[in-house]
Formats: sequence, C-alpha cells, structure tokens
Amino acid sequence: MGETQTKTKILSIENLIIKFKLRGQVLTAIRDISLDLYKGESLAIVGESGSGKSVLVKSIMGLLDKNGYIDQGKIIYKDDDLSQFKTEKDWLKIRGKEIAMVTQDPMTSLNPLKTIGKQIEEAVLLHQGLTGNEAYEKVLQLLRDVGIYDVEKRYKQYPHEFSGGMRQRIVIAIAIACNPKILICDEPTTALDVTIQAQILQLLKNLQEKYLLTTIYITHDLGVVAKVADRIAVMYAGDIIEVGKTDEIFFNAQHPYTWALISSLPQLGVKGEVLYSIKGTPPNLFKEIKGDAFAPRNPYALKIDYVERPPYFKLSETHFAKTWLLHPSAPKVEPPETLKKFFEEGRQYTNG
Amino acid sequence: MAEKEILVEVKNLNVTFGKGKSQFEAIKDVSFEIYKGETFGLVGESGSGKTTIGRAIMRINEVTGGQILFKGKQINGKIPRDWDREITQKIQMIFQDPMASLNERAKVDYIISEGLVNTKKFSNEIERQEKVRNALLQVGLLPEFASRFPHEFSGGQRQRIGIARALVMEPEFVIADEPISALDVSIRAQVLNLLSKLQQENNLTYLFIAHDLSIVRFITDRTAVIYKGNIVELAETEKLFNNPIHPYTRALISAVPEPNPHKERNKTVEIYDPSQHNYEKNPPSFVEVEEGHFVLANEEEIERYRETQKLGVSQ
Amino acid sequence: MLGYIGKRLLQSVVTLLVIITIVFLLLRLLPEEGYLGAAADKMSPEQQEVYLTSLGLRDPILVQLGNFYSDLVRGDFGKSITYRTDVPVLDIIADKIMYSLSFGLAAVALSILVGVPLGILMAQMKGRWLDRLGTGYIVFIVAVPSMVYFLLIQVYITDIFKLPMLFDQDKPISWLLPLISLALGPIASYAMWMRRYMVDELNKDYIKLARAKGVKERTLMFSHVMRNAFIPLAQYLPATILFTITGSIYIESLYSIPGMGGLLVDAIQRQDNAVVQGLVLIFSSLGIIGLFLGDIAMALVDPRIKLGRGESVR
Repeated sequence: MGETQTKTKILSIENLIIKFKLRGQVLTAIRDISLDLYKGESLAIVGESGSGKSVLVKSIMGLLDKNGYIDQGKIIYKDDDLSQFKTEKDWLKIRGKEIAMVTQDPMTSLNPLKTIGKQIEEAVLLHQGLTGNEAYEKVLQLLRDVGIYDVEKRYKQYPHEFSGGMRQRIVIAIAIACNPKILICDEPTTALDVTIQAQILQLLKNLQEKYLLTTIYITHDLGVVAKVADRIAVMYAGDIIEVGKTDEIFFNAQHPYTWALISSLPQLGVKGEVLYSIKGTPPNLFKEIKGDAFAPRNPYALKIDYVERPPYFKLSETHFAKTWLLHPSAPKVEPPETLKKFFEEGRQYTNG
Repeated sequence: MAEKEILVEVKNLNVTFGKGKSQFEAIKDVSFEIYKGETFGLVGESGSGKTTIGRAIMRINEVTGGQILFKGKQINGKIPRDWDREITQKIQMIFQDPMASLNERAKVDYIISEGLVNTKKFSNEIERQEKVRNALLQVGLLPEFASRFPHEFSGGQRQRIGIARALVMEPEFVIADEPISALDVSIRAQVLNLLSKLQQENNLTYLFIAHDLSIVRFITDRTAVIYKGNIVELAETEKLFNNPIHPYTRALISAVPEPNPHKERNKTVEIYDPSQHNYEKNPPSFVEVEEGHFVLANEEEIERYRETQKLGVSQ
Repeated sequence: MLGYIGKRLLQSVVTLLVIITIVFLLLRLLPEEGYLGAAADKMSPEQQEVYLTSLGLRDPILVQLGNFYSDLVRGDFGKSITYRTDVPVLDIIADKIMYSLSFGLAAVALSILVGVPLGILMAQMKGRWLDRLGTGYIVFIVAVPSMVYFLLIQVYITDIFKLPMLFDQDKPISWLLPLISLALGPIASYAMWMRRYMVDELNKDYIKLARAKGVKERTLMFSHVMRNAFIPLAQYLPATILFTITGSIYIESLYSIPGMGGLLVDAIQRQDNAVVQGLVLIFSSLGIIGLFLGDIAMALVDPRIKLGRGESVR
C-alpha cells in the first residue's frame, strides 16, 4: 500500500465520448472522460445507476451494446487505440488475454448446462496455451487458488450445485484463468451475503497481489471501496466529477456530489433524524447538458454552475475535482456538519 | 418507565416445510416480542429464515409449532372470521422487489385499492378514491399516478406504490421485508425517510427485515439476529452493535464494510464457526445477560461471555 | 431416476388404457345398422340378431370390455368386422403401416432439417430480412388452417409444376407434395421454438461473461447458445416426431395414400370397431411413447432436473 511513485500508466482514456442510439434519439452516456490507470493499482469507480460506470468499462472490452458507439476520444492500451477497434479479431486480442471481468450476478453468470470445470477450462485453453491433461491440472489449481476444496469432485459439478459465494469464486477463477493484466470487477459482491462478501473481497485482494494485477472495481458501496481501493473515481451523469487517492476522497472530498454520496450513508445518519438524501433525479442524458450536470440538485450550486461546465481543479498531484467551488474567486464553502465530523474522525486515524 | 404495550408476540415458533425425510425446519424455536410504536429489526443472511418469520406473521406461511399473538390474541392456525378480517387489515406487508411485487397488468388505482375492496372498508366509490388519493399523497406521489401502470415508474416510485398499498388499509403493524435492498443507493435514503415519517404520522409499528446491518442500525430500536432458524441474539440496537456477544453476531458485524479506509484495511474479519458450540450435551437457552439483551447460549458459554464482557472486549 | 421412469411408465400405461376404454365405449354407442352395412336389407331381424350376437355385441358391456382386454393381452387385436371381414386386424394394419411410417419419418426429417436451422438463422439475424420473412411464414402457418393450404397446394402447385395430384407408388415424384405439405407445419414449429429459445439464451448473463473471457462469437453460438437452446427442444422432439407420423390422416386422404390414416377414416365409416380400436391403440401408444421419451430425454440432458430424492450440494 506504499506511496511508490514509480507509476507506469497501463491504460489511458482520453476525452472519451460514448453515445447510444435509442428509439430514434441519441443518448450521451459518457460525456468526455479522461482517466489514467496505473500498473498494479486498485481503482474504484463509484457511481449510481445511470452514472455510466458500467458503460465505461464495457467500452474497454468492446462489450458495448449494439446500439452504442464511441463518438470521440481514445483508449490507449499498450500500443493500440482500443477506440478504433472494429472487428471481433481486434477485440479477441484484448478480451481475457489482457483485460478480464468478474461480473455481478453469480447466479446467472455461469452456463447452467456445462460443468464448471469445463467453463474454467475454456478460458485456460484460450489463454494459457495448455491442452489436455495440463489444462485439466491447471483448472484444479485455479479452483484451489480461489478457495474451493475437493477440486476433482467439484470440477464435474454444475453451477446449480454451488451457493452464490462459491459461484462467484468460480467466476473469479475464470477471470484469473485468462491470465489478464487488468481485472475488472463489476459489483462483484452486491448479490452476496455480507459474510461472504468479506471473504470474496479478501480473495480478490490476495489474487491481485499474487498475480500482480491492476484492478478496477465498479461499485456503489463506499464501504467496499474503503476496503479495496487505492484510488477512487466518482462518476455522475457520464462524467468523472472527482478523482483521488482513497484517503483524499474519504477525508477530504471536495465535490458536493461526493459529499452527498457520503452523507447519505446510513453510518452517518443520526438516529431519530432524517437521513440525508439527494433531492431530485439524475439528468436526462438525451439532452445536451449545460454547465455542471449536478447543479440542479446541488445545494451549493453557484450561478456559473448552470452556465459553464467546471474543469478539473487540482488539490494535489493525485486529487482533482470538477467543481467551481474550488475556483480561487469562489466563496468558501464548508461541507455539512456531520460530514465535517466524519472527515475529521477519519483524518485522526492517519495520524493517530 | 412507562409499561410498553406488547403488540406482537411470537412464542416458540416453528415453521417446517415438507414432510417426512425431505422436511426442512426453516424456523426452529423463535420467541420475541414487539412493542407498540417501535421499529423491530430482524437481521440475518440468506437461509436464516428471516423472511419466513415475516411471512408466518402475515399468515402466508403455515405455522407448524408455537404461537403468534397480536394484541394478546392468537392469529395463527384457525381463527374466527371477524378476527381474521380485522388482522388482515391491521397487519400489512411491504415487499422487497418493487419490480416483481406489483401486478403489471393493473392500474395503480387498482393495485392500491385491492385490499380495500376485499375487506369492504369503504362505503362508496367517492370514499375509495379519496383513500387512494390520500395514500398516494402520503408517500409523496401525485394523485394522478393512480391511472398509470407500474412499468411507467422507477424502482423507487414503485416501492412507494407498494407502501401506499399497505398504508391505505390503515394498519397498525407493518412488516417491511427488505424494502430498500433492491433500490439505488440515493433512493434508499428517500424511502427510509418516508418510512420514518409515516411511522410517526400514523402511529405504526414496524418489523424491519434486512440483511444490511448499517441500515438496521440506523432505523431500528431493537434488533434480533437470526441464524439458521434460531435467534442467537436480541437487544436494543445500539447495545447490540456496541457489545455483540454471540460469535455469529460478532462475525456479522465485523464483516460489514465501513466507509473508513484505515479501519477497513486493518480490520480482521471474524469468522463464525458453527461447530464451536457443543450443544449435544448441553443445549442452549435464551439468556438475559444484561437488561433487555438476550443471547442464545448454554451455561458454559454464558460463563465465557461474562468473562470477556468484564474484560471490556467488545470489538 | 429409475423410480421416475417406473412411475412415468405406469402413468403411460394407465393413460393408454383409459383412452382405449373410452374409444371402446364410444364405438358401442353407434347405431347398430352400421355393422350390417349393405347387407342390412337382406337380413331378417332374427338373422340380424344372430349376427350381432356372434360379434359379441349383445353381451353385457363389461363382459365385452373384459373379453377385449384379455384378447389384447394375448396380442389378439381381433378380426375385422366389416372392412375385410374376418381378416385379423393386425394384418390389415400391417399393410398400411409402411406408407404412414415412411411418410411420417420423411416429413420429420425434412422438418427438422429445415425448421431447426431456420430458427437458428432467424435468431442470429434477428430483426433483419430473414427473420421477418420467417416470422411471416410462421404466422401464416399458424393462422391458416392446414386443410386450407393443403388444398391450395394440391390444386395450384400441381398445376404450376405439372405434378401428379394423387399418390402413385410407381412415381417417386408423387411423394413430393404430400411430404412438403405435411412438413410445413412442423417446420414452422421448430423454427419458432428454436428461434425463441436461442434469443432467450443470447440475452443471458453467462453469454456476456463468455464473451468477456474471449470466446469467439462462432464458438459462443455453437458451444453455448445452440447447445442450451436444444435442451427445451429435446422435450418436444419425440412427441412431435410421433405426432407427425400419426397426423397425416388428412394428407393421406387428400392424396389417396394407402396409409393408416385412410384406413381409420374408412373403418369408422364402416363401423368396423375392431379396426378402429386397433388403430386408436396404435396411434395413442405412439403419442404416449413420444411424451414419455420426451420427459426422459429432458431429464437426461438437463443436469438441473432432479427426479426423485436428493438435495443439491451447497
């Protein structure tokens, strides 16, 4: 968890705009995002449904729905610009081999009519250059790696013979079998019980260390983020409105949306009082958005928020937020009381 | 301290599914009381039986042993007609999945009124429409939504419709079965606030079934933790979270991710091993270890817990 | 598993017996003159009585039933009464069965070979021209009663292509139209079901994961989607095969094919109870065997189905 500054970029997203054709209209799901992913780090992308987090990662693997397309921008990975990939052949260079995914719902992510052994083996055969008995042994080893016992017996079993937590381990085994450089975990524990969730997160952490993976976590659960992430990118309405190291976000968030997200956590609720909730609803992405997308719901909105979209304001080498509140001429605004206390308590831990 | 009125009482409840060799004891031996006006939390993971308890009280599931009492009178098994009608009205349920719990083919008006129509709780059409209107307003929806269909609404709105449906019956006791787990994070807060508001305005008592401990901590007065058909611990919510005694409760609480990176990273998650209990020789009972705080344990375990409690080991 | 098979077998036998008993009793409701046929005028009432008694039709109904069952058990289907008097029913049927069987099997082969790939293609090209064409075809077949298009084909297509109207053993080409007519319905069924199952599978999460792990689209189609879509089809396949074989009654009549269908129509008209009973028994057995095999096939091929006891491992 060190502060090693020897960071090399492994993936670079530049000014990405992704649109969808829906019912004759055009929806802009990603509105000009730039993001760098560094080798070996664990990045969390946090946002609610409609923020575009799933769309963003799908575009890295060429898994956008048929009606979606990259309008502008680049996705630089190694020497390729993934945004220019058009054919299946192109994407097969990336999928699994370079970037693998752990999906959300373990109950439906596995083919119910194939043994789990065969499903893992499929990935091994595709990406590890092994065949026959060697492949078989590798599958057994992967099963052990993800914490499954009795591997010979389990190999021959079908998904419905496993519980949710175990199925998720199998999905993870499949992802690891691909031998990827980047692992994307799309809400990997949302569908699981809390005690299993802790185990799975620990497993992912261990595997990340063992296989030197760069990981992207997509989640809406800030508790999960606190556990696994080195850096956090907060998304709202197709834009990354704040990005920074985990400590920076948890103890010094600057964007009012991030404040709102943290404030609406039940852990910050005071019993007997109303729980903080964000008024209104996310904006309509079919229309062009003028200014800051969060402005209509932002209790701290300035006039300029309705007119001009804020750029990133730098708070540190690693911490940036897109809010006019950070402009030197902006009025000084403090986060709400409960949040301030939360930040202070948190900071104590770093020092104490 | 004022004597609290017991509204719902569950005594040695047993719910067993199936017969013979393939039977399954979902609820083994559960007892607890819910006081009027409080929010009682029931926490457990999948397979614990928490939903079954809710359904047993709603009389959707049949009770195979024990009793459920409402205002002192039994409500499970065979009961007189008018008592049956009365509790149908007085005990209502809010379901988990707003996408699945509403009849897609029915208008919102119909969905909300169905209970009223079945129990004939109104004298004419005007009154019925008034009640539907009020219910919608109370949950923060516009009265004109009554003429629309469920698919025209978002998850959060659908859940509000579900709440309106329960509310229109003017109940005293509402069982909320994971009412917010299927909702988006920012909507959850809205619905929780709504439930609190409605509780105050309508003098409601809630049984709040959930698996999300942080929500439970915020909204409930007292909480019971259930594991594989047995309640393992019951206490005032704050006491439970500050001083969990049963090893399962401790494991559960330690597993909940906290929004504090340092705490989270340095935390060791406790793991619950059910085989640590030696219940063959020495069966457990529900023991009150401090006022209002009960734990399922046998004598030997109580001794041990008292020791660790004295030493102030609570995290 | 064996327990399930045994149970289903028993159910099938019982169903069969119920069917045959009902048919038996229904036939006894027909007016008695039918048994006498053209000879009715030539017989005096006493002679008619004697004749009917010799056929066993004057015995109490339960006795008749009992005799029928005991004969059946010995493999004796009885003798034809009016159709070809005194000829064993089995012999009569044996002559005809080959035609029905050949037609049926050929129609089945054709419909599977055309229908299933059509369904697969329609699913893959969902929304495009082939899908729309195929859907139009299916709607037509479902909406229009088969008799109508059978007739239209026989009248107009024979004219356009100069094909023979009636079946002739010596002219193989005369097989073509009846075969195609018979296959049109099942082709639509297979195409419709296959397309539907494939589209269902294509939308499922596990396909998304498979794609993400780098599986080629083609491999996905064959190894995952099609394989999985075949499972629900497996349940219907045996039954449809057998129904196709037996469902050709109208076609046989239309094209004068000397098969079991035509025989059934004749036998009913001539009130030849023995032949009718024999045929109903055979047709019903085929149908029931089809359903039975379908259930077994489903259970064998879908690992999620547990028949009998046993809980899944958690």
